[in-house]
Amino acid sequence: MFKKQNSKRGLAKRNLTVIGWLMAMCFVASSARAELLIRITEGANSAIPVAVVPFAESGAMPAGDKVSSIVQADLTMSGEFKPLDPSKMLSLPSERSEVYFRDWRMLGQRYVLVGQLTSNSGRVEARYELFDVNREQRILGETAAAPAGNVRSLAHHISDRVYEAITGEPGAFSTKLAYVTLTGSGKNSVYRLHISDIDGQRSKVRLESGEPILSPAWSPDGKKLAYVSFETGKPVIYIHELATGKRTKAADFPGLNSAPAWSPDGKSLLMTLSKDGNAEVYEKNLASGKITKLTNHWAIDTEAAWDHAGKGVFFTSDRSGGPQIYYMERPGAEARRITFGSRYNARARPDSKGEYVYYVHQRERSFHIARRNLKTDEEFIVTRTGTDESPSVSPNGRMLIYATEQGGKGVLTVVSADGGAAYSLPASEGEVREPAWGPITR
Amino acid sequence: MKGHERDTVNKESISLKSPIAMSLGLHLLIVVVALAGWSWTNPMQEPEPRSISARLISPEPKPSPVVDEQDQRDEADKREQAAEKQREKDEAERRKAQQEAERKAAEKAAQEKARKIEQERKQQEAKAREKAEQQARAKEAARKKAEAEAKERERQKAEQERKRQEEAKRKAEEEKKRQEEQRRAEEAERKRKEEEARKEAERKRKEAERRLREQQLNALAEEAEEARESEARRQREAAAARAREAQMLTDSEKYQALIRDRLAQAWYPPASATENMVARLQITLLPTGELQGVTLVSSSGNTAFDNSALSAVRSLNRYPVPGDRDTFERYFRQFTIEFNPKRLR
Amino acid sequence: MMKVSAQNKAFAMLLSFGLVAGCSSTGDTMEEDGYGYDSGSDVAAIDQEGGSTVYGGEDGEGVSSSVLSDEERAEARAKAEQEALRNITTFYFDFDTSEIKQEARNALVTHARFLSSNPRQQVRLEGHADERGSKEYNLALGERRAKAVERFLVVNGASRGQIETVSYGEEKPVVRGSSESAYAQNRRVELIFK
Repeated sequence: MFKKQNSKRGLAKRNLTVIGWLMAMCFVASSARAELLIRITEGANSAIPVAVVPFAESGAMPAGDKVSSIVQADLTMSGEFKPLDPSKMLSLPSERSEVYFRDWRMLGQRYVLVGQLTSNSGRVEARYELFDVNREQRILGETAAAPAGNVRSLAHHISDRVYEAITGEPGAFSTKLAYVTLTGSGKNSVYRLHISDIDGQRSKVRLESGEPILSPAWSPDGKKLAYVSFETGKPVIYIHELATGKRTKAADFPGLNSAPAWSPDGKSLLMTLSKDGNAEVYEKNLASGKITKLTNHWAIDTEAAWDHAGKGVFFTSDRSGGPQIYYMERPGAEARRITFGSRYNARARPDSKGEYVYYVHQRERSFHIARRNLKTDEEFIVTRTGTDESPSVSPNGRMLIYATEQGGKGVLTVVSADGGAAYSLPASEGEVREPAWGPITR
Repeated sequence: MKGHERDTVNKESISLKSPIAMSLGLHLLIVVVALAGWSWTNPMQEPEPRSISARLISPEPKPSPVVDEQDQRDEADKREQAAEKQREKDEAERRKAQQEAERKAAEKAAQEKARKIEQERKQQEAKAREKAEQQARAKEAARKKAEAEAKERERQKAEQERKRQEEAKRKAEEEKKRQEEQRRAEEAERKRKEEEARKEAERKRKEAERRLREQQLNALAEEAEEARESEARRQREAAAARAREAQMLTDSEKYQALIRDRLAQAWYPPASATENMVARLQITLLPTGELQGVTLVSSSGNTAFDNSALSAVRSLNRYPVPGDRDTFERYFRQFTIEFNPKRLR
Repeated sequence: MMKVSAQNKAFAMLLSFGLVAGCSSTGDTMEEDGYGYDSGSDVAAIDQEGGSTVYGGEDGEGVSSSVLSDEERAEARAKAEQEALRNITTFYFDFDTSEIKQEARNALVTHARFLSSNPRQQVRLEGHADERGSKEYNLALGERRAKAVERFLVVNGASRGQIETVSYGEEKPVVRGSSESAYAQNRRVELIFK
């Protein structure tokens, strides 16, 4: 104990000495400088405080959630914002003249969103303004309208606009989610393919089957879904036009027909086939129907995905003994293994910027979603839950949705891409799995 | 022993009745066993003295008896030889004296013959004298012989007395030896105890020494520490002196660091930020630390990024600035802040 | 194909369990249960799907050993053993492997012989994986397991034309839950005779 104290004191002393030297050196360094320059290289590592003031309303508003509540929930779900509880607000302004910046500053808020809703002949119009509290400036002022039955779309639109005004990134709150639910068991199993808002609201069933449905994949324009359905007793890849409900078989070969993934231009589909006896990755040109084999290995090759630029292909292979992520710079090129350090890395999903790739990663006895920086090769465990799979990145790369288990039941969880905030989608009936985050469509 | 055992048994049977009794019993058992052990071990040490005393008591003294007898016989022989020699010597002396006397008598007779007539009468007289003398001499010799014989008897008597005394002395010595041995045993026991005590004392001494050494070491360490401290103090003082020399500048550095920390906490790099983005802002402060103005002198090219920087700069109610007016004027009246994220989350 | 007496069934079951106890060597927790039998509700399911072949056996075959001669008894036992082996229709695998376990071989050989002597018999091999890891990889893994069993059957006399394989990956677990034992029971290939 005595010694410890000594060493601590010693350390403090050393530090002081070091500081002394630094001071002396600074003297030398800065005496030559005419003007002071302070460099800020790090920011606050926390969510941005923002006040979403309940919108003023005029006219008969449709029942259900308030627009401002939906916006608030959207911003919270992103993990990047920390909306102020409306009960703590000192005033409820709805336009600029009512905004007292000092008050919001006092409350520690960086941004204030105010607005008014008017309902007129079946349409709801929103006029909303976003203020930078510190700069006392309006950074967004718009109107938007939607049919009365579509206020959620209106709210998500406002969330997108707010998100973009503050972060400079497009928001992804108006995007859609595809996922599969399972109710019942054994002979009574019912699989349903759903499409919903990203908060899980307004879900619609697009396919119902007594046999498994897997791997929904959005076409880049958001108009079609490719998926694997076992409805014929074996896995078959279908392409489903959402507007019309029209379905076509994209692959129905003997053996596996699975893991569909669209090319960024929507013209071809990557898929896993085992028609030649072993699971390999193929590319199908949707216009010509031509099928090209991209991998050729005795091992399992599956779960292909185009990189952000649509040039290279990520895929899973167990050619090293266990599943690992490989990358081909172009289709058919030699595959390079990119994941190491765990016996199980599978199902790569790159972000839209080419910065990161996300995948299922085993650590000890748990399966998590990991993120790898493609430039630095740095690996980071994004999720804190256990049996995690099916990662899907939001189109702006800021959020990640994945399937996990909660109380023995499959649920979907949204996390910010850096693992910050986690948000489980409201549990629907039965098991929820296979989330696929849809593209931004305008 | 038997009694102990019985006791033990009794105690044990009692001890089964309650935990306290059991504990008591156990303790007693331990004591008993210890006692028993003690009385067991003591006899083991005793036999030696006992066997020694047994030997002492036995009629034929056993401790090195052969050696003693031999010594005694040798001594007696020596003594006898010495007496014989003495006797021979005395005899020789006596013979010598006789021869001397005879020689003297012959000489006298020769002289008598030479003088013959002249000393006829004298001769007669001398003869008579001589005869008387001779008689006296013979008498003397007989007396001497008797004397020597008496002396010899005396000597032998003394010798016997000596022997007796020696025997007594030997016996006394043996007694003494026995006592000595006993004393030695006691001494050994005492010494053993002493040794134990000494060892204990030694241990204590060493312990004390060790403690002392530790204290000394501690003291040394403290001394060294103090030396280090004083050295550090000296350096600090030197640094302080240097700092004082550049008072204005270090003030400036200190406040720069404070401002940097405050701004880092207030800045929320937007989602679209990249490590390549740099925004430069020139800010003007009032001496109170309040922000007078800020201008974007160099844009990052990303509005959200620029705005985040501007918002951060404006979010501080009061900038930490030095009280010293000259320092403030020189460094903080107007300065530049550069926002350039290096570690994005 | 054939009707089964309750007694026969029970005997087969008993034998089957005895057999399992005899050959379970890896100490996997599920094996007792797993190698034995599809019990409970699953029996019904298999009866429906695979037909009566699952519990094949001679009608009127007595099992009361006291009235049989030794030879008859031995014959009956051999037959019952065959039946018991044929009743094993689920085969298990270790995590992320498609290697057929040693203790599965006898039963698979029996199935192969049965297929070889009944050339018109069709069998469907359904490959499955446990819920861990990714779904599509598990789909491929399930297929590899089914194909491993297919190869084994073909090598032992069955004809490729009699066999159909399909993989369900992790989609159709027999046991729900995230325990090692549940995982072990779900990593399997099921033989479904038509």
